[in-house]
Amino acid sequence: MITIRRSQERGHADHGWLNTYHTFSFAAYHDPAHMGFRSLRVLNDDRVAAGRGFGAHAHRDMEILTYVLDGSLVHKDSMGEKRTFGANTVQAMSAGTGVVHSEFNASETEPVHFLQIWIEPAVEETEPSYQQIPFDPREKQGRLRLLAAPRDGLNGEPAAVIQQDAFVYAGVLGSGETVQRNVAPGRYAWVQVARGSLSVNGQPLGEGDGAAISAENQLSITGAGTDGSEFLFFDLA
Amino acid sequence: MQDVNVLVVFCSRTGKTEARALAAALGAVQAKANIRLRWLREPADDRSIQEIAGWKENRERMEKEYIGPRTVDADWADAIIIGASGRPPELRDYLASLDDNVKPVWIGDGDPRLQGRQVADAARAVKNKSRSQSPASD
Repeated sequence: MITIRRSQERGHADHGWLNTYHTFSFAAYHDPAHMGFRSLRVLNDDRVAAGRGFGAHAHRDMEILTYVLDGSLVHKDSMGEKRTFGANTVQAMSAGTGVVHSEFNASETEPVHFLQIWIEPAVEETEPSYQQIPFDPREKQGRLRLLAAPRDGLNGEPAAVIQQDAFVYAGVLGSGETVQRNVAPGRYAWVQVARGSLSVNGQPLGEGDGAAISAENQLSITGAGTDGSEFLFFDLA
Repeated sequence: MQDVNVLVVFCSRTGKTEARALAAALGAVQAKANIRLRWLREPADDRSIQEIAGWKENRERMEKEYIGPRTVDADWADAIIIGASGRPPELRDYLASLDDNVKPVWIGDGDPRLQGRQVADAARAVKNKSRSQSPASD
């Protein structure tokens, strides 16, 4: 079964400096019908104005992934990390027992566009950690490039280790280009279109759309439109 | 366990008190509190700012990274932690505006992270006690 979450149905807030869409309930947007999917709790599509960002705030017991599409972010946290990163990088912060951090647009002239993902950890009260893993953009072209996985699920590609049985991939497909993916029995998947459009088993998805997938063993994801698509793929317990 | 809200308000020139405030906030988070961090901007003339190394740069950065404390923050808070090396008039005014029931705790000389935890735990104990003493709604 494929259940589509349309872009325009997401929660939305425009604060001027921040234009954000929430696939699932977040901050002031609360919809009991959209509280997450399996361990995937938050999927925000954020655009932050030049020189602006999120001041110091805290997290506990959450695996937080950030995937920049355009521009770059500066991250600072209570673990002493001060890092800048842009596209073709996965940033993962395991909040564990508690982290205070800030994240700002690194540019004073250009906006930054990124997806932020929160995954509920399988274990709580772990030691906080920070990972930032860049990769060659060719590694996501026409295939699924692993971004994050549990320690025993790494496939040899450098990827962030997270405290959950969840695998997160990025993919870029040209128009008409297809990637096939098996979903093991009893597992679930989520497809989030970051840019452009694609189809999942023939069902069209546009930019910002998501698809919750259950009881489907074989997935065929095909880039559509003139420019194809960039998307995230989640394989979830 | 009852959710407890901790507001951390600080004044900082060189970033030293800011670091202590962040550590106190982290301690409160580690004690499972929700936190808000607020920087209170001290009015100062350019000459005074130039006389202290790093003040100008830190002030510009903190103006970007924080918002100031608001009445709604104090209303939200079960406990307030204050970090300041002095007591500028703006801080006195803010403290004077608080409800009489709120007793701010100043960051002391010890480990601010430990202090943040203790403040959060103490606020939770008070909240749980008042909850258990409330008459049943039904």
